[in-house]
Amino acid sequence: MLPFTVYFSPDVFFPQNYPLYIRSVPSQNELKFHYTVHTSLDVVEEKVSAVGKSLADQRELYLGLLYPTEDYKVYGYVTNSKVKFVIVVDSSNTSLRDNEIRSMFRKLHNSFTDVMCNPFYNPGDPILSKAFNGIVSGMMVQTS
Amino acid sequence: MSVPDYMQCAEDHQTVLVVVQPVGIVPEDQFFKIYKRIASVSQVSIRDSQRLLYIRYRHHYLPENNEWGDFQTHRKVVGLVCITTCGAAKDWPQTAERFHGQKEVYSSTLYDSRLLVFGLQGEIAEQQRTDVAFYPSFEECADVERRVEDFVESIFIVLESKRLDRATDKSGDKIQLLCVPFEKKDFVGLDTDSRHYKKRCQGRMRKHVGDLCLQAGMLQDALVHYHMAVELLRAVNDFLWLGAALEGLCSASVIFHYPGGTAGKTAARKPSISQPADASKRHRPGAQEVLIDPGALTANGISADTSTEIGRAKNCLSPEDIIDKYKEAISYYGKYKNAGVIELEACVKAVRVLAIQKRAREASEFLQNAVYINLGQLSEEEKIQRYSILSELYELIGFHRKSAFFKRVAAMQCVAPTIPEPGWRACYKLLLETLPGYSLSLDPKDFSKGSHRGWAAVQMRLLHELVYASRRMGNPGLSVRHLSFLLQTMLDFLSDQEKKEVTQSLENYTSKCPGGMEVITLSDGLKLPPVPFTKLPIVRSVKLLNLPASLRPHKVKCLLEQNVSTASPFIYSPIIMHNRGEERCKKIDFQWVQGDVCEVQLMVYNPMPYELRVENMGLLTSGVEFESLPAALSLPAESGLYPVTLVGVPRTAGNITVNGYHTSVFGVSSDCLLEGLPSVKTSGCLVEVIPSLPRLQLSTSLPRSAHTPQPMSKEQLSSSVSVQLFNGEEQQLTITLENIGSEDIESLELTSKTVNTKDKVFGRFLSWDLEEALRHLPLKPGQTVTLSISIKVKLDFSGQENLLPDLNDDGISVTGLPISSPLRQLLKPRAENKAVSSESGKAEYSHIKTLEAVLNFKYTGGAGKVEGYYRELSLGVHVDVEPSVFFTRVSTLPATSTRQCHLLLDIFNPTEHELTVSAKNSKDLVLHPSECQRLAIQVDKFDFESLPQLYQEPASFSSPKQLEEERQHAQGCQINSKLDICWSIISLQSDYRDCMVA
Repeated sequence: MLPFTVYFSPDVFFPQNYPLYIRSVPSQNELKFHYTVHTSLDVVEEKVSAVGKSLADQRELYLGLLYPTEDYKVYGYVTNSKVKFVIVVDSSNTSLRDNEIRSMFRKLHNSFTDVMCNPFYNPGDPILSKAFNGIVSGMMVQTS
Repeated sequence: MSVPDYMQCAEDHQTVLVVVQPVGIVPEDQFFKIYKRIASVSQVSIRDSQRLLYIRYRHHYLPENNEWGDFQTHRKVVGLVCITTCGAAKDWPQTAERFHGQKEVYSSTLYDSRLLVFGLQGEIAEQQRTDVAFYPSFEECADVERRVEDFVESIFIVLESKRLDRATDKSGDKIQLLCVPFEKKDFVGLDTDSRHYKKRCQGRMRKHVGDLCLQAGMLQDALVHYHMAVELLRAVNDFLWLGAALEGLCSASVIFHYPGGTAGKTAARKPSISQPADASKRHRPGAQEVLIDPGALTANGISADTSTEIGRAKNCLSPEDIIDKYKEAISYYGKYKNAGVIELEACVKAVRVLAIQKRAREASEFLQNAVYINLGQLSEEEKIQRYSILSELYELIGFHRKSAFFKRVAAMQCVAPTIPEPGWRACYKLLLETLPGYSLSLDPKDFSKGSHRGWAAVQMRLLHELVYASRRMGNPGLSVRHLSFLLQTMLDFLSDQEKKEVTQSLENYTSKCPGGMEVITLSDGLKLPPVPFTKLPIVRSVKLLNLPASLRPHKVKCLLEQNVSTASPFIYSPIIMHNRGEERCKKIDFQWVQGDVCEVQLMVYNPMPYELRVENMGLLTSGVEFESLPAALSLPAESGLYPVTLVGVPRTAGNITVNGYHTSVFGVSSDCLLEGLPSVKTSGCLVEVIPSLPRLQLSTSLPRSAHTPQPMSKEQLSSSVSVQLFNGEEQQLTITLENIGSEDIESLELTSKTVNTKDKVFGRFLSWDLEEALRHLPLKPGQTVTLSISIKVKLDFSGQENLLPDLNDDGISVTGLPISSPLRQLLKPRAENKAVSSESGKAEYSHIKTLEAVLNFKYTGGAGKVEGYYRELSLGVHVDVEPSVFFTRVSTLPATSTRQCHLLLDIFNPTEHELTVSAKNSKDLVLHPSECQRLAIQVDKFDFESLPQLYQEPASFSSPKQLEEERQHAQGCQINSKLDICWSIISLQSDYRDCMVA
């Protein structure tokens, strides 16, 4: 099984980071991933602020590998409105290379945009969209 | 070497290490007092040269670490200062012996040593010795600092000589191979003549000289030596020492680039003032700017072999290079298992440099590496220290979350199951420090702004741990506070099961230690603000209720005007408008009365999945003395909005503000202030309490009714009575008034108002005589007074033209009589036989009219009267009026006398009872139900013109119509008095005067 966590943190509207959506497989040790993703935000923030300083042009949304731990690899992605996506995968999973992760993020971003387009969705609320959930589940099945 | 010094930083490479230790029995506080004074001499400017010597003091240093002194000279203990007490001369030899024993420990590296003896006086103390200083007591030792400076200078002399010694003996003689402790056995039997070996010796020596130069304050020379050492060592693949040379290079460059220091605690840079508190903490050399003085560098002691033309810029590493070189050095150290401590310390130093450079991400990589350095078996204490340091370093580079993570790990380490005596206190303290990293504060106010948006899963875990740690610390008060906080702020994130668990354990704790509203202050000064349960239950709105209508105070008009006069004379002014607006939105426009029960309605609901018991719920007020009467309530699970009325009695007069409410839930009492609850809807909380007023209770002789006069709401009317009367009938209503309050009733007024009637009422509907009642005033509490009111109905039942369709005036054959004018109206109804013939007609005749009126009792007394307030008690009177007799036709016949005539009246009885009609000068006439008969009355003729003008001023009537009405009324009275027609219903034993002919 592949541990896989998705996390969003709206930054533009709400300065405090908090998860909009978090999902992991297997779900039994979820708290551990909470910690992993939470600490990875330090790196995300650092990367985002570093980029902001250097160039004002088109920023690469994909942040790449945030940091490797013994068992997991943590990847990050930040939208232009500073919504953060984090994916944690098992280190032993070699089938996932940078390109795959990148496309996963892009898919997530698209789906997230759809969620935001829903007029009944209140920005900042936890995401409960079935369609979004389906996309995430699909990716998790695919990669496991 | 197994114990890393996590506090190390790059500048430490330029310091010389001096150990200060107590010998024999020295009181700890005295030792640290002296230690601080010694440690204040952290940098010494050397005479005759502009160089500075930096000293690092330790009161504890492992000899094991000292063995690495050749590897990096700043690890070498070069000075020893012993502090001892000696009471008598005979103890002196023993003391001296101890001092020598202590010297032995570091003998291999020591340059010089000093002994400070306290308490010894006399012969021995007289002698002048350079290595021993005698002081009579710990108080009388003014020249300690000067002594230490002398001592440091003597160290410098040795250092300088060693440097020059080592720096010059480059050729010819065999250079000694410097090595680290674990290498020694590796070199046994090695060919000492090989070029490789010689180069290695040279390289290591070069590096060593670099270290000495750095310590001696010759930065440029040090750089040159390090560069040469790097070249030499790289050629022979002596990785450990290559790493050391690179690190030396880095250190020198850091010292050059960042004269402010990298330890981050530069705030403590006070050159000669003793540093605060923790004596074990390192002391940063101050004012390092002095060091970078090119003039000093070129003018002084540059040894022959260093080429002065090598520019500083070339030798010194750029900030980027420093990091690269650190990386390289660390990778070399990493090749040696036994150099773990060196590697770890290098990582720490590099992180500090990166923190200064604000390159957090690279720093985190170094730290990440440091996490994985294996130092062999660490004791639990060392683990805790290591995690704490990691946390501090992460904090330094701005990774607050990571910092919090490691701090939490350190906290957990304090109470690891392997530790026989878990340090719950330390654990708790560390956990508290992690709070900011998880964006948690222990003040519930921070969470009241909008919905909680945090990393709930992680925060909840931390709070649970805090609860547990505080419980194990044996402080249930803290547990209760933290648990309350958890429940209050994380309620939305707790599952039903968790809610149950949390509340159960909360109840367990509160059974031992009830939670309150006091601020808990921890031993380190941290304050835990109280946690009011504003969500248990959730209050949606707070509404102050007016008193019931009968108890509402009213202001006497003239006094009100007085109030107005104090207001602004301007109709509009923007400034005052602002103030007024504020006041208005706060102050409610009704009053409460002192001593009377006042009510506040709260809409609450229970968010819990089970029944919530709220005890001792009451109001929090300010302004006047208020006796709150607490209520207990039990809210069903997930209840909807539920109204709760909290009551209380104001005991004094003035302005009262309802600030909030207090509850007691799960054994935790909370004061919930409304200002902290933006979600609560309130329509103002400030109410004026006026002085006490009496209370009046009213009872009547007539049955109560549910009718309320239309324009008044039921609330406004304290009670109402209803009665059914025939037209023209009169009835007495007896009202008993009782003073049920605590004040005397001093004045009473009664007014009446007829409401909702389109019909013209003739005569007085309600009449009374108040004089009798007023004679009883003042009415003491508990006393009663009775008042009788007569109800009389005189209504015009004519004009119902639908009932009497065939209408003509032919019956009025009277001519020459102006009487026709007032009577015309009355005479219109001429039912003749028609009414009798049909049932429906009869039903229509008994058409009921209603008459309603309100009796208002205004009364006042006591202190409220002085303030100009009164109360009103109103009684609604509802009368259903049934028609009694109808005059269907009026005509006159000449009588026998010319002065008289016969008045013929056709009388119709619309009631269901037998009716007797009598008139002056005539017989009684008995009328059966729905019967019409003619009554003849002989009357004197009279002329309306002869009537006295009752109303002398026609001008006072606004219209001719009104004038006409008045005249008719007067004429009607006249006729009435002449005729005096009465009717009575025998079966009802009622006898009433007919007043129809108004």
